[in-house]
Amino acid sequence: MATNLDQLSAAAIARGVAAGDFSATEVARASLDAIEARDGEVQAFLQVASDLALSAAAATDAARAKGERLGPLAGVPVAFKDNMHLVGTRTTCASRMLADYESVFTSTCVQRMIDAGATPMGKANMDEFAFGSSTETSFFHRTNNPWDLERVPGGSSGGSAAAVAAGEVTISLGSDTGGSIRQPASLCGVVGLKPTYGAVSRYGVVAFGSSLDQVGPFARSVSDVALAMNALVGDGRDPLDCTSQDCPVDFLEHLEDPVEGMRVGVIPELMEADGLTDEVKVAVRGAREALESQGARTVEIELPHMGASIAAYYVIGPCEAFSNLARFDGVRYGYQEPGCSTLAEQSSRSRAHGFGDEAKRRQLLGAYLLSSGVYETYYYPAQQVRTLITQDYAEAYEQVRRHPHAHEPAHGVQVRRDLGPDPDVPLGHVHHLLEHRGQRCRIGAARPREGLRGSRSPPSSSGLPSRTAASSPSPAPSSAPRGRRPAVAPAFASRGGELS
Amino acid sequence: MSDKVQPAEAPLGEADVAGIAEYARIALEGDELAEMTAYMNDAISILQPIRGYDLDGVEPTFHPIGDLSNVMRADVVRPGLDLPTALENAGSTEGRCFRVPSILGDGGEA
Repeated sequence: MATNLDQLSAAAIARGVAAGDFSATEVARASLDAIEARDGEVQAFLQVASDLALSAAAATDAARAKGERLGPLAGVPVAFKDNMHLVGTRTTCASRMLADYESVFTSTCVQRMIDAGATPMGKANMDEFAFGSSTETSFFHRTNNPWDLERVPGGSSGGSAAAVAAGEVTISLGSDTGGSIRQPASLCGVVGLKPTYGAVSRYGVVAFGSSLDQVGPFARSVSDVALAMNALVGDGRDPLDCTSQDCPVDFLEHLEDPVEGMRVGVIPELMEADGLTDEVKVAVRGAREALESQGARTVEIELPHMGASIAAYYVIGPCEAFSNLARFDGVRYGYQEPGCSTLAEQSSRSRAHGFGDEAKRRQLLGAYLLSSGVYETYYYPAQQVRTLITQDYAEAYEQVRRHPHAHEPAHGVQVRRDLGPDPDVPLGHVHHLLEHRGQRCRIGAARPREGLRGSRSPPSSSGLPSRTAASSPSPAPSSAPRGRRPAVAPAFASRGGELS
Repeated sequence: MSDKVQPAEAPLGEADVAGIAEYARIALEGDELAEMTAYMNDAISILQPIRGYDLDGVEPTFHPIGDLSNVMRADVVRPGLDLPTALENAGSTEGRCFRVPSILGDGGEA
């Protein structure tokens, strides 16, 4: 029986390519076929790099033919958020400003995925310059949530999340400044990880908030995210990014660890948050109970300065964005307004017409907050509040190893389409992980709980109950193999993408 | 939260926002100035929790990697972008240069 690409994990694809069960070229063609069949509705991609994909896949196949050892992501189709440079593609940041920008170098995160054998399939849609939580501020088009095309996929890495949820690719990379991996992963029912700052190089990723930006993977299983993380950090710190840090962690090491004996923090205050729906509360309680039934001990913790976190973010983010986006002046690259008589006029009009509304808002807010007299009122205190929030987390982690954290899809922003809970779209949990330094990072605990993510995957082999199976059952397609089948939005499963 | 809440400053007016826009080199046109002024005041209102804490003696965290400073590399020449590549994304070029309008405008002696 033919296998569909969307039923395979990254590890299974790499194994199959290495064993000669199928070639990297066949996998790439299956991914292109799935994109062709599905992306007209999902619109996750801004650019499909067919030639690049097929030549990379051919190189993988040639390496195998020569008897070379293949990488752990051999032949795995991967999409990249369109703020990551990749020679041979445009890097637009979903902005008119960079609509025609051709990448002149390749970012380290992209290169490391390719070096691990991955096949680059193209560039994924995003909110313009990563300013947004719905992928609706893209200059080019919206992206639709594969679980329900009338809903947003979240953002700003909405294209990356949707491409994985629709089964068009197996892994994607996104970037997260204030939730831009975690939130779309939640809304699209896939696994996403914002790594500890410094773990993944930012070289070649268009900057938004330099002290907050971090690149991370999306996949349909925790183990595939772990595989991608190993590729991203495996070669150690990147000399091209001075904030890059060594991250000597094997993310696969603890995948099978039991949760028995683990202390898991819960934050009672979050359960009373404004706008939190009953469905999310039930899901979080269900997760807590399931963990306890597996032998974990839950500990209630407090983060006393959590109430200031959004305000601190809305100071620090725009200030850093204003500084970073000053480079777009219409001279060396980017949109250039014709017919201007002075350089100042050209800059002002190029920026006025090259940036969308949200990008202009955030930059003007940042410009104001960094001005003399205002800096002392907001910017400096926000950095002090960041110290207090950091201390809160350090103290919380002294009590526990990790905590489930309700992630409400509404996310505090207004979006055009309804984001409210619905039994047919996934809910997600956000797992806060320990910082990687000191080798304390482990993502194994998320693995036995995959069935709790709220996706439509069948119960995992650990036997934990699925949250949605309890509250709103939605059977997987009858043809789906049992076990750890990656969760693809049902409407798209097996549509195109067949591997013979 | 302490009782150290400070009164918010006066709302920004359109003239203030026009000045910020000029500084940020983003020309605002038509209704944009009024809309941006309303947005700025709304945004500032949600920042107020920042002002409600007793922060005396609290060190700022300007960067998450606090012990990082002066990361250096060996001072050796290495290849960079070649000229055609460096110029290929520019809106206007002339010879080996990016082309820009006069700094001071027509008749200016830049």
